[in-house]
Amino acid sequence: MSNRTESNGYTILFAIGMVVVVGSLLAFAASALKPNIDENKRLEKQQNILYAMGVNENDESSANFVSTEDAPQLFEKYITKQLVIQGDKVTEDDQAYLIDVKKEQANAKAGLERRLPLFIGEKDGKTYYIAPIRGKGLWDAIWAYVAMDENMVVQGAYFDHKGETPGLGANIKQRFFMDDFIGEHLKSNGAFKGIDVAKGNADPKNEDKTDNEVDAIAGATITGNGVSAMIKSDLKLYVPYFENLKNN
Amino acid sequence: MGLLSKKDTKLILDPLADNNPITIQVLGICSALAITAELKASIVMAISVLFVLGVGNVVISLMRNIIPSKIRIIVQLVVVAALVIIVDQVLKAFAYELSKTLSVFVGLIITNCIIMGRFEAFALGNGPWRSFLDGVGNAAGYGVILIIVGFFRELLGSGTLLGFKVLGDPIEKTGIYAIGYENNGFMLLSPMALIVVGIIIWVQRSKNKALIEDH
Amino acid sequence: MEHIELFFKSIFIDNMVFATFLGMCSYLAVSKKVSTAVGLGAAVIFVLAITVPLNWLLDQYLLQPGALVWLGEDYASYDLSFLSFIMFIATIATMVQLVEIVVEKFSPSLYNSLGIFLPLIAVNCAILGGSLFMQSREIPTLGLATVYGIGSGIGWFLAILAIAAIREKIRYSNVPPALRGLGITFITTGLMAIGFMSFGGMLTGGDDAGKKEDKTVVVEEQKEESVEVASVTTKSEEEKELSNTIKVNE
Repeated sequence: MSNRTESNGYTILFAIGMVVVVGSLLAFAASALKPNIDENKRLEKQQNILYAMGVNENDESSANFVSTEDAPQLFEKYITKQLVIQGDKVTEDDQAYLIDVKKEQANAKAGLERRLPLFIGEKDGKTYYIAPIRGKGLWDAIWAYVAMDENMVVQGAYFDHKGETPGLGANIKQRFFMDDFIGEHLKSNGAFKGIDVAKGNADPKNEDKTDNEVDAIAGATITGNGVSAMIKSDLKLYVPYFENLKNN
Repeated sequence: MGLLSKKDTKLILDPLADNNPITIQVLGICSALAITAELKASIVMAISVLFVLGVGNVVISLMRNIIPSKIRIIVQLVVVAALVIIVDQVLKAFAYELSKTLSVFVGLIITNCIIMGRFEAFALGNGPWRSFLDGVGNAAGYGVILIIVGFFRELLGSGTLLGFKVLGDPIEKTGIYAIGYENNGFMLLSPMALIVVGIIIWVQRSKNKALIEDH
Repeated sequence: MEHIELFFKSIFIDNMVFATFLGMCSYLAVSKKVSTAVGLGAAVIFVLAITVPLNWLLDQYLLQPGALVWLGEDYASYDLSFLSFIMFIATIATMVQLVEIVVEKFSPSLYNSLGIFLPLIAVNCAILGGSLFMQSREIPTLGLATVYGIGSGIGWFLAILAIAAIREKIRYSNVPPALRGLGITFITTGLMAIGFMSFGGMLTGGDDAGKKEDKTVVVEEQKEESVEVASVTTKSEEEKELSNTIKVNE
């Protein structure tokens, strides 16, 4: 390398130039693509919510969403009400599905009252109550949409993750894991208990739906613990709403 | 002689065996352990690294004469990180499904020391075409090991390959499960990846005595 | 109490090398001798202890969605989190080169024993991993972030020290020639990682980790029930085709 490239002045100039070039490239990419990315994320949320209430294109074994083209119409059709629960207040808001659960969790930690979105869907004469939840897996965030009936019995669930280990923790978004939740009771003897992702429970075929347990994925202990934890902490917040529902 | 001279061919073929990035150069181990529990993830990772290393090597090689040596590590890291982030954003905007499959790998690619290693060892001192070949060769050598490890871990751990049940059905007890075979769930845990790589090294060095270390 | 718990957790339970398998490359490459391992280990502790809190500040006041609110209400809507990778890496690389320059200037003897390892650290994924974990696990305070950085560093130090000691001993054993050096190190590390799993239950009540091994088989069977799904992860077009192929094959 020549001496020219070794001087301090050159090094500093180069560093500044690189920061400017790379920074503007990244900023340009991020701002130019943001509308597209946001739209994709919005559609995905709709797909996820619909998936949880059983509006999906599952075949025998794999989990498939409704197509992105159909998602908005189907969302309109099946989701009859979107609620925001804040303390005792329940308001209707047709943008509730855009509420960022991560932000609300942070707000709750900061002492603000958390807004809880709840989506009410109707399909074949049955009412589904769908709640978004969020927690931590082994590497990064995990989240889910859980559809329940008015007795808090799970009717469907969609799990997803940001970066769990492929083949292990990443399998929470596979049918064999998600389908286990269908029919499971979140309550036990009238009190909220959650659903444990249990290792070696006595019921590996998952026939007992009232044991508050589903079977864990081998080799994905921490992801499984994360799933149990987020169900327990986030769905619990919806219990008062369901109590009210019953009393009225 | 065509497109590739003898020297160029060596650049591609060497890393496949005798100068393999994982078993000889000890580069890129972390990702080899993290994602080899199933074959499909191994293949996706191999292809992603092939792309990033090929392109990254060319970029660094083109810049090699203007990079001040004092800050070359930062420059290299920033180049590869910017490259990966931009590709990730473009995929998120236009191929969302694909980007979700790949998003797990983004962090692993940036931190993969095979990329830094080749920048430092080769691209900084060679022209773009040779750097490209070196990148492709090393990524291929890395990919081969990943796929071998992924193959054995998925086969022995879950009894499947790419999701197909190749050993029969463990619940219905068909195939070799009928004679009492059980899946080895241990293969799915990361420590087994280390041991499988260890065995690959054993096989490789038994075949090629020149690679044996004297303690 | 919280600090102490996080400290021990990051050393033993979430050990960088044995639990998350980060920083493997330099761990395997620079563990031939205890003395060099100690040098590199110390450098890793040092760099982690500086970069994790530094990146915590960056994350808190620059990168997180809404982090720029201290500049004024108008900035509250900015989300720069797509820059986290590049910012974290830049911080780490800058710190490493800065440390290298300072050490070279003020303590040539330390530089000679440590110097060659410093550039290696910038590419050690344990360092970036530390910052990314700090971000994704949402560590709440600067103090905890510092403790986490130091703890992870000590965990890594412990791991490389242990393997270096084992490798020094192995030198006097009769290892099959083809396994000598790297091969046996891989296998030893695998066995050590299995051993380290026993720490998994340390802070969670102990019961879980003990159960782990013998239950794996049971869980495994359950998993097979829907094994067709196993690698058909998402719903993209190719995968639809793939599952169609599965059906055809059946």
